[in-house]
Amino acid sequence: MAANDLLPRAKRWNAQRVAPYVFIAPFVILFLVFGAYPLIKSLVLSFYITNGPKSSVFVGLQNFAFLLTDPDFHKATRNTAIYTFWSVFLQLPLSLGLALLLNARWVRGREWLRLAFFSPHLVGQVFVGVLFSVLFVPQYGLINQALHAVADVPLDTRWLANPQLIMPALVLTSLWMYVGFNMVYFLAALQAVDKELYEAARVDGANSWQQFWAVTLPGIRPVAIFVLLMSTIGSFQLFELPWVMLGRSAGADGAGLTIVMYLYQTGYVSGDLGYASAVGWMLALGLLIVSLAQLRITGGFKTG
Amino acid sequence: MLTFMKSFPYGQAALTMAGLAAASGAWLMTRRSEKTQADVRLWTFAKPHYEAYLEAVPAFEAAHPGARVEMQLVAGEAVTSRLQAAFWADLDVPDLVEVEISSAGSFFRGPLKEIGFVDLTDRIHREGLWDRLVQARFAPYTSRGRIFGLPHDVHPVVLAYRRDLAEKAGIDVNKIETWDDFIEAGRRYTIPNKRYMAEFPESDSSRFEGLLFQRDGGYFDQQGNCIMDDERAVESMKFYVPMVAGPNRIGSDLGGGQIFTRAVEDGYFLFMITPDWRSKTLEQDVPKMSGRMALMPLPAVRKGGRRTSTWGGTMIGITKKCQNPELAWALALHLYLNKQDLAQRFRDTNILAPDREAWTLPVYREPRPYWSNQPLGEIYTKLAPDVPFQYTSPYIGTAKGKMSEALIACVQYYNQRGERGFAPFVRTRLKQSADEVRRLMKRNPFME
Repeated sequence: MAANDLLPRAKRWNAQRVAPYVFIAPFVILFLVFGAYPLIKSLVLSFYITNGPKSSVFVGLQNFAFLLTDPDFHKATRNTAIYTFWSVFLQLPLSLGLALLLNARWVRGREWLRLAFFSPHLVGQVFVGVLFSVLFVPQYGLINQALHAVADVPLDTRWLANPQLIMPALVLTSLWMYVGFNMVYFLAALQAVDKELYEAARVDGANSWQQFWAVTLPGIRPVAIFVLLMSTIGSFQLFELPWVMLGRSAGADGAGLTIVMYLYQTGYVSGDLGYASAVGWMLALGLLIVSLAQLRITGGFKTG
Repeated sequence: MLTFMKSFPYGQAALTMAGLAAASGAWLMTRRSEKTQADVRLWTFAKPHYEAYLEAVPAFEAAHPGARVEMQLVAGEAVTSRLQAAFWADLDVPDLVEVEISSAGSFFRGPLKEIGFVDLTDRIHREGLWDRLVQARFAPYTSRGRIFGLPHDVHPVVLAYRRDLAEKAGIDVNKIETWDDFIEAGRRYTIPNKRYMAEFPESDSSRFEGLLFQRDGGYFDQQGNCIMDDERAVESMKFYVPMVAGPNRIGSDLGGGQIFTRAVEDGYFLFMITPDWRSKTLEQDVPKMSGRMALMPLPAVRKGGRRTSTWGGTMIGITKKCQNPELAWALALHLYLNKQDLAQRFRDTNILAPDREAWTLPVYREPRPYWSNQPLGEIYTKLAPDVPFQYTSPYIGTAKGKMSEALIACVQYYNQRGERGFAPFVRTRLKQSADEVRRLMKRNPFME
């Protein structure tokens, strides 16, 4: 007999009515303190110019107006968009291709290969940033040595000092880190596709390519949309990689400056928490628009 | 109680866990932060400073019975961000802090009364330090005429070079008096992609700014106005870019750390801009070149002109939260001006203190085997009085970034079009960068 059964009916009813609130209370309290309050506070702050939290002057929408003409914010937005575009649109096909490969029965040592491709994600962005900073070193770095041997690329190619090469270097680094990670999602999705559909397709005379288009892709669509969204959001929040690889200056000509880096610089280096809040809200707004557009284009709103 | 425990939804285990969580939370909230036992707490970001101060502190503690000093080595980036956050949030901060020159300005963004460091101006004048130390070195730590830091160093700049390679190439450094002489020799020496006359980067302004300071230019003037597009900046840019761009370039760089070591050993570049602190870096990072390196004064812009500049620096400041500012000040003076310590410190770090009285110590005349037995101290001390002023602003970080952007744009222009239209382009591009800085400055309502 449970302890509750020993209580009078009225008390039991009361306890059952209160219990759900008690159990959701930790989340609600944490969300209100660390989620809702900072959100509201940052929205309020975005209407002020501040010098830290002590001094602030109300400026209305001036921060947002300044953003629209701020060349550094434009640069950060452009860089972030370019990084997102290339990293997502290279990452996803590569991840899917790798997943298809490692899902095939004829590949030997699949389990080991899956672990090997996933493992870069385990070490974290700071480690990866340090590692690739060394690999990209001109004259003596492994990447230049390899490219020089294979394609006669000059040994003193400055990946992290040439504004034109900084973004490709960041995208390459992120590919190494995330392709294997996204591969795991695709692998799970591939294994969930109903095998009978392939059999039916084969009976109907579909070749491998047609099976991929007609069975595999529709089958993994929900996961693909999820991966696309998460990769896009993750790319928009890029911070550690350029910070570690390029430093506070974000590399030559600020070619590695991302929106979150700019937010950090304005908020925590310059001390203008108000302007940083405005940058943060613009980022949130941008992400919302891009995510909605992606869901609309990919049919993510459709149910079933 | 037992009834309550029994009536708690989902049983006693959940209640026990909730109770433990509440109790531990309450304990954490009520727990007093452990007070440090030290009377003076000091943060420094530079390991050589930290090691030198460890040796100097016992003498200070002996001279101040009962006083205990605690030192913490904190990463440079963290000094700025953590200290700034602590100032803003009224949190516990150390009593004394060393701040790197390019970060110092960021602490001066607000009204004077809200700056987290004690105003040392009157104390510095009262105690005769204004006349005793190199005055130019107070400039980076001054805001609106008030001084908030004591300078740790002078950091005069010379050229370090591979003596063996220069001799082999027939370059007589005694004949290099001006930058024109240097460029002429450099054009003969440089073989693109193989060896360069100097380590001059094309994409960051760290070396360029030294040459800008040499011409008495800079990012800001004494009043804090942005001057990075004035005539001196234009002339410096017109002079620097052809050294790192176009068909006649004589400068290149590869980066720092191990790659720098390899580059010096391989003779990838012959001359390197070298302030006093960097001469120690070279000794430590490129030990194989001992006896094959030498120093020479910077070439002058015009014959008879200034043969040095400056690069880097550190200040020590007393925070307003300091409980015993007199003791903190005494410690700062002990660390920065104690002659006996300075002699050993110069041997350990090669860093020249701004205290002129210390320059007479014999240590400054000692020949250094690494530098082909040249008296390193004498070379730097001779140039130290001529070190240019370097004024700061809360926007110094932004200005440096914008200068680098302008440099890259000018390098790209010069690579594509050469001298044609270059001068007007430099002028326009520098003005664009300076205007962006001015626009930011104009937004700040806190600088009275």
